[in-house]
Amino acid sequence: MDYRARLRIPDLGVGVGFRGPHASTILRARPAMGWFEIISENFFAEGGIQPAHLESLRSTYGVVPHGVSLSIGGADPLDEGYLARLRTLVRRLDAPWFSDHLCWTGFGGVDLHDLLPMPYNRETLDHVVERVKRAQGTVGAPLALENASSYMEFRQSSLPEHSFLAEVAERADCGILLDVNNVFVSAYNHGFDARTYVDGIPPDRVVQIHLAGHEDKGPYLLDTHSDHVREEVWELYRRALRRCGAVSTLIEWDTNIPTWETLEAEAALARSVRQEVLGGDMGSRGAV
Amino acid sequence: MTARDLRHLQSMLAQLIAGQQPRGEPTREGELERLVKPSARGMDPQARLAVYREQFWTRHLENLRDDFPTLIWAMGGSAPFRAFATEYLIARPPRGWDLQRLGDRLPEHLAATPRWNSDRLAKDAARLDWAFMEAFDCADAAPVDPTVLASIPEDVWPSATVTLHPSLRLLEMDHPVHLARSELSEGRTPERPPMLRTFVAVWRDRSCTRHACPLEPAAFAILAGLNAGLGLGVACESAMRRTSRESVETSVGAWFQDWSARGWISAVTPPSHDD
Repeated sequence: MDYRARLRIPDLGVGVGFRGPHASTILRARPAMGWFEIISENFFAEGGIQPAHLESLRSTYGVVPHGVSLSIGGADPLDEGYLARLRTLVRRLDAPWFSDHLCWTGFGGVDLHDLLPMPYNRETLDHVVERVKRAQGTVGAPLALENASSYMEFRQSSLPEHSFLAEVAERADCGILLDVNNVFVSAYNHGFDARTYVDGIPPDRVVQIHLAGHEDKGPYLLDTHSDHVREEVWELYRRALRRCGAVSTLIEWDTNIPTWETLEAEAALARSVRQEVLGGDMGSRGAV
Repeated sequence: MTARDLRHLQSMLAQLIAGQQPRGEPTREGELERLVKPSARGMDPQARLAVYREQFWTRHLENLRDDFPTLIWAMGGSAPFRAFATEYLIARPPRGWDLQRLGDRLPEHLAATPRWNSDRLAKDAARLDWAFMEAFDCADAAPVDPTVLASIPEDVWPSATVTLHPSLRLLEMDHPVHLARSELSEGRTPERPPMLRTFVAVWRDRSCTRHACPLEPAAFAILAGLNAGLGLGVACESAMRRTSRESVETSVGAWFQDWSARGWISAVTPPSHDD
């Protein structure tokens, strides 16, 4: 049985990231939206506006936590305090999965608050597999590991990133969050074929897809989540959908945050692409 | 690649990105070039690393700028603040995942920095801004039920323990910088205030809005005593020593009602029979 069926990972349709500037609109008007993703760390606090927002949000929508600080590729030990907070959040949301990135975020107790790449080889693969197993065991839910966009590659790498990610998922028995914008950005930055990457990801392991905009800096693309999804990225999304089938999809927009109406329109576009590729009810989920 | 190699690689990159001092593993000349590939689009390893370095400094300096608006004003603008914040991040790099805590050691660092340690206005501003940050997301507590307050016999009050809302912060300062912060939030540029001993409470209300308000010295002393775990009677005695018995005795009832109405009182616990 494939991974999604075995773990009963649902297709939530199309959703968007829950961000501060839209909070009052969403919580007041309860617009039609398949689901929302939250940044996990923003909702670890014991009090204040964020927990209050979360209680209100989850009364209407499915909510999945997406982290940026797990540091699954880090050389420092996993932060048990962080995992305990994540477990509490996942349980509170009754989330079908939680997600974070294939990266490291700090060293020696110093947190860089960034998603840094690691060499992809047999030794680092063993390292990540063990940590994914421990993280899933502690949190008590499936982890969807996301391919991060990157700007640096290492001479010690002996595997392409998609092969590394696929093997981590198989050996650690975790899911994959396939960010097709990140595939596009990294493909440009490192000179690989984005289609080969998407085709190399085991489709049944993909529990979620991310879409976002990026910025062209000339010699490199920067993953800024600051604009509309580019046509080339929509095309990769079509390719991923054809391979993976009906998979929960999420629009990320974190800087130059647009009006709620603009974000809704971007989500509607994703729904129309799902409809075009998948047809029938599969494509339209998340429309209401 | 061994676990030691991975540690070495991440240690080196973290140092180069955050500008930290090497931790017993000095970065060797040319090591970055040995480890990182140039890009197909002409970026050498240094240029590729610079993408991360720029992101690190932009992200953290913007966070601190957002967290310390009063300090920026007190320092005379963005340029001196940026220079100070850069020094702070090098001396005390971010520890832990919580960006909300990025500035937790900034007031202490300011007080230890020769350029600023005699600038009382800047030190007051830093402490006030940090109090607002702490009030943002600390634990909640429901305000005490007024019927509970009404049911406590008068003779029990002096020995009762009063629990204050977790967000309440009490600041004794040399300037009324809370007024400056308020003006800044309205888009105005405050005048530099004269020195004036000022007692301020910062807190988060039930709608999660943060406030600052001035306190009379005796009221401040009582609240500080309660915060330190003293019983109400002992806290009042302490305040009387600081001001006068008369001013405390005539005002404490009204103060308590005011604090309760603001949601500062989370619990009043009469002494147990064992006490």
